[in-house]
Amino acid sequence: MTSRLALLALLVLLAGPLPADAGQYETLDYHIQQMIAQSAVNDEAGVQTFREQLDNLPRPEAGDAAQAQPLFQQGLDSLNRNQPKEALSALRQAFIADPTDAETAGQLGLTYLRLGRLKEAERLLVYTLALAPARSASWLHLGQVYGQGGDATRAAGAFANAYRFAQDRPRLAGQLRQLAATDPVDTVRAGAAQALRPGQSTPASQAPPAVKATPAADPPAPAAPTAASPSARTADPAANAPPTGGALLDSLRRGLSNLAKPANTSVPNADLRPMSTAVGDNAGQQIYQNSIPRTCLIVTFRNGKTDSLGSGLLVSADGLVVTNHHVIENADNLAVKCGERESVARVGKRSKEPDLALLTTTLNRVDGFVLNGTYSQELIGLDVFVIGNPYGLEGTFSTGVISGLREIDGVRYLQISAPISPGNSGGPVILRDGSVIGIATMGLKKGQNLNFAIATAELIRSGLFDPSRMKTSAARGKSP
Amino acid sequence: MNGGLRGAAWLLAAWCATTPAFAQDSERSRYYIQQMIELAATNDEAGVTAMQRMLEQEPRPAPRDPGAARAALQRGQAALRTDDLNAALTAFQQASRDDPGNADAVNHLGLVERKLGRLPDAERDLQRALALEPSRASAWFQLAQVYGLSQDGRRARGALANTYRFAQNPMRAEEILRNIAESEASDTLRTAAVETLRLYRLPVEVVIVPPLPANPGIVPLRTAPASGQRP
Repeated sequence: MTSRLALLALLVLLAGPLPADAGQYETLDYHIQQMIAQSAVNDEAGVQTFREQLDNLPRPEAGDAAQAQPLFQQGLDSLNRNQPKEALSALRQAFIADPTDAETAGQLGLTYLRLGRLKEAERLLVYTLALAPARSASWLHLGQVYGQGGDATRAAGAFANAYRFAQDRPRLAGQLRQLAATDPVDTVRAGAAQALRPGQSTPASQAPPAVKATPAADPPAPAAPTAASPSARTADPAANAPPTGGALLDSLRRGLSNLAKPANTSVPNADLRPMSTAVGDNAGQQIYQNSIPRTCLIVTFRNGKTDSLGSGLLVSADGLVVTNHHVIENADNLAVKCGERESVARVGKRSKEPDLALLTTTLNRVDGFVLNGTYSQELIGLDVFVIGNPYGLEGTFSTGVISGLREIDGVRYLQISAPISPGNSGGPVILRDGSVIGIATMGLKKGQNLNFAIATAELIRSGLFDPSRMKTSAARGKSP
Repeated sequence: MNGGLRGAAWLLAAWCATTPAFAQDSERSRYYIQQMIELAATNDEAGVTAMQRMLEQEPRPAPRDPGAARAALQRGQAALRTDDLNAALTAFQQASRDDPGNADAVNHLGLVERKLGRLPDAERDLQRALALEPSRASAWFQLAQVYGLSQDGRRARGALANTYRFAQNPMRAEEILRNIAESEASDTLRTAAVETLRLYRLPVEVVIVPPLPANPGIVPLRTAPASGQRP
């Protein structure tokens, strides 16, 4: 028996895990990518060869068209009313009912595109084109997907196929011209322009002057954070240049200069202002003025380049900063800016559950926030104030109430109605008395203002740092 | 190690582990199904396939009255279409008694039991259906729902992974999984669907988002971090 068990153990060890092998989708994708590649070099015969191969692949089993039809119509109506979330729900049900209808699959792919879900959009559009390789609209949408994903070459190939298979070519050329001239994404414009160039399947005479608008090789527009799309990053030759040296803080300063800043963040001598100092009659204003020097912008660096940003809060007079673990988890290096002061940072401690990290900085002349360890039903309904850096909008201040107490996977959260967005992670959720009751962490994508902060009580319990270094209180929402 | 050797290793391992332990075929079949769930949850393709082969070699129960079973199956399906679950249950029980080797009848029986909230019965009969036809994606899907309703996330994930693995149309299965991952009320099942999609590296947008995604709006900087700053 012992030898049998030993043999069993050996065999299980040898067997090991295996990844799932390439499936049907990969086969379809291969053919579609070949059609794109052939189209990009204007190889008409090559495109037709792979189209024929696609036609010869086995068709999926037909579904229930009668069940799918009303759902499809409902989804299409929602899409036409510019309600992509509603459209997604209906079109997905229609697709599940009948996955062989190219129209349904194509509209579902378009819906994902409208929702900015590019990976899903790509998969659905590739699947659609495998069902109907000459469906011009899906080639057009696939081109937009690749363009929005920063791949101008594949975008151009897909756009060229859109034109190749279009029943109304002048109209399609007009659509491409419009994309080339007005699409907000550089690589979509570049892809459409490339598809319109002489030598492509589109007629050269239709190439519009508007193509000049912004070629992909132009440097990305600075300043507004929304301008820094992934495509802009790839288009910027200096972004991928080898490191030239220089201090991390210099990087931080230059990076910050590119972010959108609040109109006036400088509060004279704010760093030294005690928490209770009143600035004005408005409670929110007082809280903002008192809290902004203790609220931090955290910039992470990876492979020598800026990677992402988040928020944090000073919690001790010797420069300890708390943030979310997920803000710093992939960082090689960190820099923080709290109020007007900047510092490099190191990770002192980190914890995935709860999602918290403690950073050490040199910002040692500012009192930290008072931490409020209360966690009880009495909190529900209290006003809260959130400061953070959503999408690089430094020092954004928002308000709401504590909507509920939630325990998720054993971690205590506050549900708050104050709006938070990517970049708010790790920032303070503050009561009217200026104490921190939570750390903004996550949000529910559905619904409105359903956001969650890790309760400060959880931070205190986590043992992330020595309680003697904290300033704690149990005050609940009283005015300063 | 190539897939063939790996599969052979699993077959031998399964034989070593199970031969002395089980007296009844049904017990052994259930063991193989549970192994398929466990192995699918870790995306062990060779292991799943090996267990599937073992199941396929198990003896099939002989039909008692195939004609009566077919008639009862049709009655059950008609009752199911009108949502008469009790009538459907009776008919499918009859069908599976008359032909215990009819995977369709046993699968429908498990489905109705699941709908009626009779979860232990549903689990037993869906496993019977899978013992007869291990690649039946719809039975795996029903079984995943049973585990989801029983708050058994790991087994729900394994069963969903097999649903996707054996789906005739993977893109449809992918959308079904995304639908569950984004709309299902049961935390366990929703999480299992998210994990399954991730297991196969398929895109999914989860409803609650821990963590918030990295800020996409930042402008890349062009200088390297100072040396010695690694945390």
